[in-house]
Formats: sequence, C-alpha cells, structure tokens
Amino acid sequence: MKKYLKYISIACTALFLASCSDSYLDVNEDTNSPTIAVLGPELVLPVGQYWSAEIHNRDRYTNTLGNMFMVNWSQADGYSWYNDEFLYNVTTSFYSQIWDRTYRDALKNYRVLQAYQGDTYSNYRAIGKIMESYHFQILVDIYGDIPYFEALGRGVNPTPSYDDAQAIYEDLVVQLDAAMEMIDNATESAIVPSDDDTMFHGDMETWKKFANTIKLRVLVRQSGEGSLNSSFAGMSTIGFITDDVTVDPGYAMAENQQSPFWNAYGRDSGGNIINNNNATCATPFALDFLEGNNDPRVDYIYEHPATGHLGVPQGIADYDIPVVDQYDPIRVSNIGPGLLKSATQPAVIFTAADSYFLQAEAIFKGYLPGDAQVAYENGITASFDYLGAPGATDYYTQALPNVGWNASSNKMRAIITQKWVALNGVDAIQSWFDYNRTGFPANLPVSLRASTPDRPVRLFYPSSELTANAANVPSQPNAFTVKIFWAN
Amino acid sequence: MKTKFSGILTLLLAFVVQLTFAQEKMISGTVSDESGLPLPGVNILVKGTTTGTQTDFDGKYSISAKSGDVLSFSYLGLKSKEVTVGASNTVNVTMEEDTAVLDEVVVTAFGIKREKRETTYQTQQVDEELLNQAQSTRAASALAGKVAGLQINVQSNGVNPNTQIILRGLRSIGQSNEALVVIDGSIANIGAFDDLNPNDIESLNVLKGATAAAIYGSDAANGALIVTTKKGKYGEAITVGVNTTLTFEDVAYMPDFQTEYGTGWQGAYDPIENTNWGPRFDGTIRQVGPTFADGTFQTLPYSPVKDNARDFFEKGLTTQNTVYFSGGNDTGSLYLSFGNQDTDGIIPSDKYKRTTLKANATQKLGKVELALNSSFFRDETNTVGNTLGSQDRTLYWFILNQSANIPISRYKDWRNDLYSSPDGYYNGYYQNPYYMVDTSRDTDKTNRLTGNFSASWDVLDWLNLTGRIGGNFFAGTGKEWRDAQTFTDEYTRPSPNTSFVRDSEFQRTDYTFDFLANANFNILQDLTLKTVLGASSRTFQYHESRVQGDNLSVPGLYDLSNAQSIQGGFASGAYANDLEERQYGYFADLTFGYKNWLFLNASGRYDFTSTLRPEDNSYFYPAIGLSAVLTDAFPGIKNNVLNYAKVTVSNSTVYNDLGAEDIIESFTAPLGFPFENTSGFGLQNGFIDANIKKEKINTTEFGLNLSFFSNRLTLDAAYYKTITTDNIVATTTPNSSGGNSYLTNIGELEGDGLELSLGATILKSEDFSWDMTINYSSSKTVVNKITDDLTEVALSTSGEFGVYAVVGQEFPTVQASAYYRDPNGNVVINPTTGNPISTTELSGDNPQSGLKNLGTTTPDYIIGLSSSINYKNFRLSTTFDYRTGHVYYAQGSDAMEFTGRSQESVSANRQDFVWPNSVIETSPGVFEPNTNIPVTDGRQDFWTDVYNEIKENYVRDATAVKLREVALSYNLPAKYLERTPIKKLSLGVVGRNLLTWLPKENRFSDPEFSNNAGPAGNAIGIGGYFQGPPTRTYGLNVNIEF
Repeated sequence: MKKYLKYISIACTALFLASCSDSYLDVNEDTNSPTIAVLGPELVLPVGQYWSAEIHNRDRYTNTLGNMFMVNWSQADGYSWYNDEFLYNVTTSFYSQIWDRTYRDALKNYRVLQAYQGDTYSNYRAIGKIMESYHFQILVDIYGDIPYFEALGRGVNPTPSYDDAQAIYEDLVVQLDAAMEMIDNATESAIVPSDDDTMFHGDMETWKKFANTIKLRVLVRQSGEGSLNSSFAGMSTIGFITDDVTVDPGYAMAENQQSPFWNAYGRDSGGNIINNNNATCATPFALDFLEGNNDPRVDYIYEHPATGHLGVPQGIADYDIPVVDQYDPIRVSNIGPGLLKSATQPAVIFTAADSYFLQAEAIFKGYLPGDAQVAYENGITASFDYLGAPGATDYYTQALPNVGWNASSNKMRAIITQKWVALNGVDAIQSWFDYNRTGFPANLPVSLRASTPDRPVRLFYPSSELTANAANVPSQPNAFTVKIFWAN
Repeated sequence: MKTKFSGILTLLLAFVVQLTFAQEKMISGTVSDESGLPLPGVNILVKGTTTGTQTDFDGKYSISAKSGDVLSFSYLGLKSKEVTVGASNTVNVTMEEDTAVLDEVVVTAFGIKREKRETTYQTQQVDEELLNQAQSTRAASALAGKVAGLQINVQSNGVNPNTQIILRGLRSIGQSNEALVVIDGSIANIGAFDDLNPNDIESLNVLKGATAAAIYGSDAANGALIVTTKKGKYGEAITVGVNTTLTFEDVAYMPDFQTEYGTGWQGAYDPIENTNWGPRFDGTIRQVGPTFADGTFQTLPYSPVKDNARDFFEKGLTTQNTVYFSGGNDTGSLYLSFGNQDTDGIIPSDKYKRTTLKANATQKLGKVELALNSSFFRDETNTVGNTLGSQDRTLYWFILNQSANIPISRYKDWRNDLYSSPDGYYNGYYQNPYYMVDTSRDTDKTNRLTGNFSASWDVLDWLNLTGRIGGNFFAGTGKEWRDAQTFTDEYTRPSPNTSFVRDSEFQRTDYTFDFLANANFNILQDLTLKTVLGASSRTFQYHESRVQGDNLSVPGLYDLSNAQSIQGGFASGAYANDLEERQYGYFADLTFGYKNWLFLNASGRYDFTSTLRPEDNSYFYPAIGLSAVLTDAFPGIKNNVLNYAKVTVSNSTVYNDLGAEDIIESFTAPLGFPFENTSGFGLQNGFIDANIKKEKINTTEFGLNLSFFSNRLTLDAAYYKTITTDNIVATTTPNSSGGNSYLTNIGELEGDGLELSLGATILKSEDFSWDMTINYSSSKTVVNKITDDLTEVALSTSGEFGVYAVVGQEFPTVQASAYYRDPNGNVVINPTTGNPISTTELSGDNPQSGLKNLGTTTPDYIIGLSSSINYKNFRLSTTFDYRTGHVYYAQGSDAMEFTGRSQESVSANRQDFVWPNSVIETSPGVFEPNTNIPVTDGRQDFWTDVYNEIKENYVRDATAVKLREVALSYNLPAKYLERTPIKKLSLGVVGRNLLTWLPKENRFSDPEFSNNAGPAGNAIGIGGYFQGPPTRTYGLNVNIEF
C-alpha cells in the first residue's frame, strides 16, 4: 500500500508542479486594452471631445431636436422619419440618447481627466472642468433638476441623487471660475496639450475665453433671475470666443470617421447621398422668414431646388394634397451647402454667432459694457461667415424689423430672432432654450399633428433613470407646461 | 497505428479462414425469454474468437462453431448465458431476467462508473437508437423531448443552426445556464458536442443537477451531459457500415399576412412603395415601379399574390453520409468513422458543408488500458450577409418590405431582367432580395480537433489510477463582404450601398488534465467504501481578431488590400481580443455502502481560479447525498406489481466563476478611432465591484425510482430546489453614474421543479411491441431580491421591450410598453386623439408608468413523449414535445407593422374606429366609457406610430406542440442477407418538425427562436426576426453493415 501511495503522490506532484507555482493563475491581464495605470490624459481628452461633437451633431441629438422644435426642419414625402417629433411625443425614450450619451460618453471621460493629479496635469483638469460645465448646462436646460454633485461616481455612487437646477447653475459659475484660475496659475511643469486637444490645440488662452463664454451663456440664460450684475464683473476683460468652437480629430471620408453632421445628413463614406438627406427639408415658416427678409443665407441653409425653394409644414397628414408628389425630395429645400460642407468639416459645438448674440443681450440688458448693436451685427456676420454666404452688411442694414438693429422696435426680439436664424442647422437647441425663455421668434407654428396646442418646454427623464435610479429620480414634471427655472 | 491496422487485417483474415475450415459446423437455434417469447438482437459470440452474430427478429440465429466451443449469449437486461457446443447442431437458449438490471452502470463525472443504485442524484440516459432515430444533423436538437428537465432551444434554423441546452431552467441571471458537456471523460463544451457526428455517439447520460457534477467545481452549476462516443469492443466482430440520409427542408409556415391592401402610402397607391398602405386591392392593372426614361413601366394586377414571401424560399436539401468501422481483439479495439454533410438551405445560395472524422482506440497492456478518443471536424458555411443595404438590415427585413401584390419570386434574374435590376426593381426603398443574396455573403470555415488520451491502471483489485489529458482546439476564419451599388437619381431609389470586406479569425484552446485514484474497500462485513481522490486543471485560451475594409476599388475583389479605408476602432473595425483563464482543484468523492442497499455519498472539491483577485480565489464545493434501495432493504414490499424502489436525497453548494478579465476596468478606442491625427481611448462603460466574488448555488434534490411489473413500467421522479445568491450581474446603472452597468454580486433567485419520467412497455408480443416514455418537467425560478435600490435588472432591452429579472416575478420576464388600463382592464384612450395610451407615456407617479411585466419566457412545464412501435421488421418512432406557460416577443411581427402587412392593420378596414371597450380618464382614477371618440389616422399612422409603439401587442403565448421527430424504418430480415456479405440493411423515412401546433394568437413564428442576447445568452424569448421562417425536414435513410 505504501508503495502505491508513493506513486500516487509522485503522479500528483508531477501533474501539479506547474499548477502550484505562484504564477500559474497569474494570467488575468487585459493585453488588448489599456488601464488608467498606463494611459495618459492626452489619449482620453480627444475621446471626450469626440463625444461632445457627436452629441451635438449626430442624427437625433441636440441639434436635430432644436431644428425640429424650432420649425427649421420638416420631412419630405416618402419618409416617416420624424413622427415622434411631429407628434411632440415626449416619452421616456424620446431623445433619451442626449442624456445617456452625455453622461456616459462625454462627461465620463472628462471626469477621468480629474484623476490625473499634480501640477503637471492642471491644464487637463481645467479643460475637463470647462467641458463638464458646457455639458451640464445643456442637460439642465433640457431636463431641469439632474444628478450633478454626486454624478459620475461610478462604483463609489452607482445611483446619484438629483440636484436643484438653480443650484447647479450657481456651481457651474464656480467651476468655470476655478478652471480659469487654474489656467492662470498653471506652473512651468504643467503640460500644455497639443494636437490631442482637438478643439484649441492647447491654446489655453482660448480655453479661458471659451470658459468665459460658457459662463456668459449661464448668466444670460438666468438673467431674468434677480440681480446678476456682480457676476458679470471682469468678464469683458477676459473676452469671449470670436471663432466657432469646433472639434476636429481628423475627420475623413471613411466609415465611422466622417464629421458627424455630414455623416448624419449628407453622404455616406462612399460619397452617396443618404436617406436622411432626402428626408429632411425646410419648413415654409423658416423659408418665409429668410426669403421675406431678402436673406442670402436661404441658399446656404437650404438647398435650392431647380423648381424653387419649397418647405413642408411640420406634420401634414397628406403629402399629395392638392398636388401629387409635390413634396418629393427632389422638389423640396433639403439641408443646404452652407451647413453640409464636406465629410471633413470640423464639428461645431458652440458658434461664434451665439457668443456675439449672448454679448448683445448682456450689453442690451446692461450687464456688460459695450455696444449691443455691434455685437448683434457681429453675430449676423459670424453666421454669414460660417455659411460662406456673402452680403452680411447689406442684409443687416436693411430697414426691416428684426433684421436692421435700428429698425427693430423690440431689441430682445431682434437679438433672439436673428440668433434663431444664425443657429438654424448649427446649434438650434439653443434657440429652443431661448424660445422657452423669451417667446421669440414670434408666431412660431406648432406641428399640424401635435396632440396639444403647446410645444414641449422640457424632455422627460429617460427610462434609463426611471429603471436604474428610481429612488432618486423626481416625479416627471409636465413637459409642456413646467418650464426650466430660468424661463419662469 | 500501423501495427494496429495490420492486427485487424490479420483478424479479418482469420475470420475468413475460419469460415472455410472443414471441422466447423453450423449451429442454429432460437433464443427466447422466460415467457417463451423469441428475443431479437441477442449477441452470440464463440468465446475466445471474434466470430459472432445476432438473433434475427424471430429470435433465430446460426453460427459456425466446433464441438467444444463455448457460445456466449448476451442481451441487455438479461443474464448472460454460456453454452458449450456438443454433438447437436441445434442450441436453443432461454435467457433469464437479470435482477440487477436496474443497477446498470452509469458514467458520472470524470468518467467514474457507478452502479445506478449507488447514485444519490437523478440521471437519465439516452442511447444511440433514440438519439438518432430521425437522423438529425445535430445531436443537441435530437435531444428535445427525450429527457425530463432538459430544455433544448433551437434558436435559429439556418444551415448552421444554434442550439441552447438548458437543464432544469435558468438559475443564474448573468452567468451561463447551459449544461456542462463532458465527452469521453474530458470537459468539452456545447460547441464540441454540436460538432460531433451524431452517428458517432454511443450514449448520453444526463446528470441533471449540480450535485452530480459538484466535483467539477465551477463548471458544475448547470448539471452535465456525459457523452460517450462509440468504441470498438474487445473481441467484437468487425463491422463496417454505411449510413446515408437524404433530407429535404421546407418552410413550415410564414407569418399570417394581410392580403387586402397593397403598395402605397397613406391610403394612396404608390407604384414604388415598400409598404402596404395603399388602397384596397381591386384587381385593376396598375403601374408598378418607376417610369423609365423611354416612358415605359411595369404593370401588374393590383391583387394579392398568394405566398409571395414564402415563395422566395427554396426547398433545402441535405445529404449526410457516415462510413464507420468497428472492431477489436482481446487486447485492442478500434472505432473509425468518416462523415460528411452537405446542405443547401432554404435561402437561395445558402450552403453548408461539414466533414467529421473520428478515431477511438483502446489497447490493453497488462493491467493498464490506454485509450485515445479523437474527433476532427471541419465545416464551411456560406450564407447571405447579415448587414444588407444602406441600413445594414437582415434579409428577412427585405422580404417583409415587399408589397403583398408583388410576385417576389419572379425577380430572380436581377442581372438581366430590367424589372429585377437595381434601377428597375419596383421598390424605391428596399432592394430586390435576390440581388441581396448575390451581392452580400458571409462565409466561415471552422476546424475543431477534440480528443483525449488516458491511461488507466488497475494496480490492484481494489485500486485503479487514471490519468487523462484532454484538448479541444477550435479555430476558424470568416469573410463577409458586400458589393457597392449606386442608383439612378431620375426617380426614388434606395440609398446606395457601400462596399466592405471583413476578415475575421479566432482560435480557442482548452486543455484539461485529470488525475484520479479509485479505491474500493470492504471496511466491515456489510460496509463498503468507494473512494475517488483526484486533481484536475483546466486552461482556456482564446484569441480573435477582425478587420474591416470599406469601399472596395475593384468590384468583386474581396480583399483588404482592395479597400480604400480600413475601419479603425475597437467596436467594429480593426479589433483583437485575447483571453486566458486557468483553474485547478483537488477533490475527493467517498461512497459508503451498507448491505448494498444504503449508500452515503460525500464529495468535496477545493478549487482555485485565475479570474479573481489572488487573495480571494479559492472556493470549496461540497456535496452530500443518500440513496436507499427500499426493495432490498425491505424485501417484503416487493410483490407482483412493484419490483424495485429507490429513494435519494442530496444537497450541494457550487459556485459560478467570473470570466477572464471580468474584474478589469479598461479603456477602449471608440468607433472611428484612431483618426488621422488623433488617437484616443475612452473608459469602458461598465464598472466593477472591487470586492466581487463567485456566485453561489445551493441545490437540494429528492428522487424516487420505481419499477413495476418486472420493469415493464418505470417511474423516475425528482423534485429539486435551488437557491442562487451573490449573483454575478452587471446591474443597470443610471448613465448619470458615469457608466451604464455595475458588475457586482446581487440578489437571490429561488428555483424549484419537478421531473417525472415514465417508461412503459405497453405491448410486447412475438411480432409486436410498443414502448413509450413520457417526460414531464416543470421548473420555476423566482427572483426574491435584486438589491436594496433596484427591483429589476435588464438582460437585454430596447427601452420599449426587453428581457428582465424582476423581483417577485419569474425569471426571465418580458417587460414591454403596454396599454394603460382602468381597474377593469379596459384600455384608456387619449380623449383628444382617441388613441390608446402607452404606459411609457404616463407620468412617473402613475403606478402603471413604464414597462409592464408580461410573463416569463421559459415554459412552466414541458412534456416530451417518445414512442417506439415495432412490428416484425418495421419500427415506427415518434417524439412529441409540448411546452406551455410562457410568452415570447414576436419581433418579426413588430417589424411587419411598419410595412402594413399585419393582420391587425386591416382589422378595422383601415378606417378610424372607436377602440373596443375603451374608457376615458376624466380625472385621476375616474374612468368613463368611450363610445364615440375614434382613433386618429386609422388609415396608417395609427398603426405605425401608436399601435406599433405599444409593444404589448407583440408579446405572444409561446405554447407549442411539436412533432419533433418521426421515423419509420425497416430492417431487412437476416434470411435475405444470408448469402450476401451484408449483415444488416435497414431503410427508413425520417421527418423532423413535420407538425407544429401554435395557439391562435401566435401567427408569426416559432416561439423557440430567440436572439442570442443578454449576458451568457440568458435573454431568452425575443425572436422571429433575425431567424427567418421555421422549417420542417423529411427524407430517407439507409444503413448497411458488413
């Protein structure tokens, strides 16, 4: 018996000689993907910026939503693309991708930048803060109260609580000031980003101006709320962005690498016109305003069909009444060449025009020093420049109300209406916020298929929150009547 | 091998020579049982030689032997008998019942053999005859209905179908619920099982619960299928056989389409529409498709074309051939087989080929037996691509998007016929499906080598040492491509297709090492002890890569070098993944036996894994059980009716392991990265609990085995209960947390079930016998808890419908947007539009807000029935199975709504109508009948935008009765073969899934179809869109043995 036990133990030992060594089980490594231990912030930042551009420009993200609610876009015959938009079918899944992708893709990666400690990475942390503020403001403007202070905690706090919208707005100013201070106080050892910063290529002064412009947007939007004069102090000195803020990681005419707006509404990577291009077109309301004011931008914002400009009212029941095939894609004004430039066009996330119109409003209301008319006309010029349209001066010197500054009896109406034109197709969600706040442009029609006489003023919390954060998500305010705090 | 072959050749020669020796004489006779009935199929061997034969259907045999030779008669279930040949040329034999028949040996974990009476848990055996009765191309699908507690889901039915094997329902939310597969003693997997030629399988023993498999450690949680492949037998006559099957495949049924309305939009006729929202059919001749430059156009009568979608599909054809060789001498045995399968699918041009080779050999060297079991498998799949057209859709979508008045099958010749060509085809939005079939292909080739080598040494009478090395090497390559297509811009055409080519490859390697010491002791006079001490290790390595090139320069050259760009990025372009996982463990298994009627089994395994943090990577897996053969303990209870009774009880605790790299949070390049100037990595969405551990499953089982009327009626029953805690689940987190899932240990699942297997020999006479087995199994798993914060976890969801684990509900549960209803169940409508309100439109404070639980997707119970009727040389075998109590999400039906082909969309004649029995909520909680407010846009938009958004409409009763298999075979009587070298010739007709009965509300698809979705494929119950229509097969089988 003893003899055999010996054999057994020898066999056992032989079999497990390798197994029992300490390293035998040491194979659980990810050899395909990096972890934070080996990854620098210069490889994380461009991903955050990529998502900022996508969330703004993709099909059915913020820009599309604004263009639909602000009656810039409609639908050609033969498509049933925009039913929910025409029905104002605000549900927990309606445009929920804005919420989901902003938190999960953009903000998550910007928050990673805060993990890089020390003076060396102060610029990256500052950029992270600025971009977080940019996104959080838009989320507040769409949803009101949102997770903010506890958000993005991942394993530390998988179910963040919700914060008051106004309190978030107040903290955004604090965070933006802090970011600008970090840029000012960066030490010698601080790494300055280079081309990994696909927005400003490490130009930290421009980052500061961008932070200042976001702060301006935050302050102007709540400018109905109490006295803000002190908050504007020093902002003119820092200055605001004067060029369109764009993201360009190196967009190319290749699958998954096209500029997101082009990819969503232009052509595929093989150069073929896509369905969305044919399906999406002007409304009579937008065309009437442009053509009625002799606006040369009409041929840049919209494609000029051979048969002349034609818009489709949002939500018409029968495309063939009175004329069969009248609204075929070939006959209607689809999205124009000033917006759809090329597969490699840099992706806008904040327009210079917006910066100027925000300044115009702040100056007009007495928050900032300066000449509101200059800012207003700069805003129009910036829009012409973006679209590549000639004749800005000729346009805004016309003695037409809401076009020429002096001809406009209601300056706020002129500013917001022109901002609506300038942001058509580029950043129309900002016009929706302005509309909810000011009611301009006036006489904006509702969709013919709308189930209520009102236009939504906010979106529903997405189903992802209702199912996974049920204990925290507030009861859903009415999407048509309960405005965001700054619009009251 | 060379010596082996020459040895067999010698045997063959000896066999031939023996036949011619003069002193040999022909012995003949009849073998019968105790009641005098002749016994067919009794094996007769001249002892010490390889000369053997079998009795025919009349129990008659003849064999050549010398005086003094000993004839050995053997038959399963009867005592073997030996008779010495004397002067007489007639030897008649009566064989007696073997009282120990129920103590047949079962093969359990690690190839350990135990008498059935010793096992403290329930097992069920399926032998070759039952498994292969209908010559299924896949063994797994042939198991449906044949084992109580086993659920076989044929999830798709293309030329290379996908089958899921689930024992005793689902017990894990996030980890695999599929049974462990052990082939010839070594751990394999379901893929390796699927890749076996079913004709090479000798038998299958199903170890139903975790207890039986506990010594496998973390692989054990879901029970095990112990597969034994065919071996040559020592001293067996050489057999060479050919088995050929030819089967046809047809579409069994299509969804019920409406046939009242055709091409059009918003009620108006439109000659290029893919949808059926046109006017009512009126039989007039109308323009179909575009007007061409020369002013001409195609015309067709505006009336429905019967079966227009069904006629797209062709008759499939499968041939299967197996050539096998089996034989042995006193010290060696050999089984060789070669098989091939060649299939043309029901989708034009879909093809599948497979080749299998099997070589099993054993050799005795004194007290050591060496064994080699090996299988080689190769297959080639060539099917239509999966991402068709500019929208990357499946073929079925294109078929569903052709109008009811279009004779689809007329448009085959898209290269030459104008009306079938890309620019001339009628449909302005979705291309001709025949075009798709030819311009987008998905091709795969895989190779698999599975096998093991073992040495078993009978050191002493009571001691055996066995070592075994197993390997499973699986590798393959794939190429998928799509041609580019541009269209005229003269009139509306689909968006252009871009071209691409995608190359992929993978390699998977599994090694196992097992070492076992078996020792049997008689401790005291009435007390025995059987012990197994062992150790085993397992290594798993996986590698895959994939590259996609877009926009091919030279049309028709599907090579990466021909692409204008290579897609970047982890998610879809250039991608590689490597995984490695290791485990090892030590185990002991002790079985104490008292007077051969009471047995106590205790086993334990100490297991180490690479998937967890080193400080917390070891787990102990205990199992304990008791078995008592009551009829031996208390012989008094035995009588003419009851002849055997055994009860068992057992309990075990096993753990599910995590997967390789599951605990690592890493960064990946998003789709599109790297761009020309910019590289980047984003943090993965999921985040991971720093203290994650294995998932724990505790199982208790009670079993009862009874035999009546000398084993003519048997009943096996089991009741089990499982508790799963620390479920490893990626819980859904709000995106506001900075990710969308959190991998952690959560909740509690409680499952129980009852299994009954009734076997009966209903009739048995000289010419006629009828055997039947009925398997009943019920299983139910309820979610007791998720987390303190969460009451549900989504396994797979679109946001509007999905498969979930929900507290208080059975697992898994379908949830979907549903009708808002008043307390009486009436549908609440919107007073402005007249449209029903979806629960997803309700504000959060309404208790009905959100998705609604609409039922579980696993059956409450399954009844399988196998019957075998023998009359003379004919045999008729049938297997039915019935599943009920569950629902499925009919995804194909959802897709049909948009195209206006659903029956519902014509139920109100495409008019606005008042929703039946609807109510209006006049103030919160107050409902009044709606008698006059009709729905809005009942012509079209109501159906596509309102009805289609209430996904409850597509949750259907998944009950089904299927005639899974039917086979009629005829064995040519031996007397006709006497003068031929042929030993056996059988002819048969076989059919699979010939008949299916579905409830009236399910007019869409096979509820068994399911997308392979969710963690470990657990999101069962959404199907019918990616799979295409269900099919049935029927054909002929010939088996010849020499």
